[in-house]
Amino acid sequence: MKKSLIMAALLLACSVSGWSQAKKPTIMVVPSEAFCTRNGFTQQVTTTGAVSVAPDYARAMRENSDIRTLVSAMGDFMAKNDFPIQSLEQELKRLQTEDAELAMMTGKSGGEINETPLERLRRTAKADIILDLDYEIHRNGPRKQVSFNLQAIDAYSSKLISGNTGLSSDANVPMTTLLEECVLSFKDNFLSGLQHYFDDLFANGREVSVTLLCYDNCPIDFEEEFEINGEPYELAEIIEAWMADNTVEGRFTTAAKSANRLRFNQVRIPLYAQNMNGRDVAIDAEAFARPLIRMLKKKPYSLVVGSSPRGLGEVWITIGDK
Amino acid sequence: MKKVLFIAFTLLMTASAVSVSAQNKDRRKSFNSWDNYEITTEKVGVDGTKFVKVWGYGRTVDKAVMAAKENAVHACIFRGLPGNASAMSTPPICPNPDTLVSHEDYFQNFFAAGGPYLAYVNMTTDGVPSGTDCRKVKGGYKVAIYVQVMYDNLKHKLEADGIARKLSSGF
Repeated sequence: MKKSLIMAALLLACSVSGWSQAKKPTIMVVPSEAFCTRNGFTQQVTTTGAVSVAPDYARAMRENSDIRTLVSAMGDFMAKNDFPIQSLEQELKRLQTEDAELAMMTGKSGGEINETPLERLRRTAKADIILDLDYEIHRNGPRKQVSFNLQAIDAYSSKLISGNTGLSSDANVPMTTLLEECVLSFKDNFLSGLQHYFDDLFANGREVSVTLLCYDNCPIDFEEEFEINGEPYELAEIIEAWMADNTVEGRFTTAAKSANRLRFNQVRIPLYAQNMNGRDVAIDAEAFARPLIRMLKKKPYSLVVGSSPRGLGEVWITIGDK
Repeated sequence: MKKVLFIAFTLLMTASAVSVSAQNKDRRKSFNSWDNYEITTEKVGVDGTKFVKVWGYGRTVDKAVMAAKENAVHACIFRGLPGNASAMSTPPICPNPDTLVSHEDYFQNFFAAGGPYLAYVNMTTDGVPSGTDCRKVKGGYKVAIYVQVMYDNLKHKLEADGIARKLSSGF
């Protein structure tokens, strides 16, 4: 009897630990915009008629072997810490192949894959944590020295997780040696910054942003009043009250509030929540917002609500249309 | 008059004796304190290691060298390593100041004479420290040695033993 009880307890512990794994953020090393501009890795991009200069990451990765050295060295130590990083180069190649395959794909009866312009725009290389890398080579006769700047940035809150700047030694050695020295120099400090960020995440919840937008065909806006317990409240107020009830210790900031737009940032969401079957699962920004969406669909609001996740930490909720 | 002078002299001697005794006590305290050591990063070590110059105190040179080795590992775990012009500072493996107290038994065993900590220290200087790296101080020697600490191995050991938190834990 005792043995079976112990076995049951062990099985329960295993299954609980299996559920309680938070969603792992993806990490990607990206050459900084300053580096790309300095080294001519830029391209002209036309967005809604306006021409702007943007970094050409594919060319930077293809033509600059030093960046590859740095990415490999960083990928190596991150993998040793059970945190493999996403390769920007491979991700860009995958997107290229995906583009070609989607264009060629047809069903047996001649149907084509649907993709809205927004879906196409969002199908870009992205990660939850961006390692923004910049370095510069200083030459002093035959001797070289590398100054580096590595910033780990939370892609959703745009907050700096860890910043590392420094100089390599001044020596007449191959460039690869100096670059590897740089990586070894900032490695532990950088990992400590990440650890601190993850500790905060486990203690205070994941920091996400929630944006609510109103389509012009929506019959109401966020200033529409609804009666709750005999008192009239604006929809924006009702949503704010929901946020206060559902965030970790009621932590969130209302960054923008108008008739057609509501934006909440610094929203601390719990790492786990119960799914429709009552099971504890790890959640992201979209999963956090689902109960709010369900609430807005029900009476007395009875709205058409759509949601659109932007990675783990940001969700856009649209009312009036999907 | 003589009596007064004698009493004053006695009081003066007693006061200075008390002061010297307090100074000796303070010195003994700092001599025995584990936090009383100096450590500097010499340069960026090869992958997974830290190359440092560390000082240690002991009654004999050998004991001071052993103390310096202990100090090098202690610094990596609890204090962190300072940076220099070409090497960034290294944070401690266990940044929580309560770790030593909460895992006292573990660290008693880890830092015992001939304990597991020795597996994470490589001596990089040959022979007994000499010149300015070996100083005779009251009650023993203060010596400096250049050591290579196997930082990554040490970190993995502490993570495996549940003392330090892994970067990926919880995910």
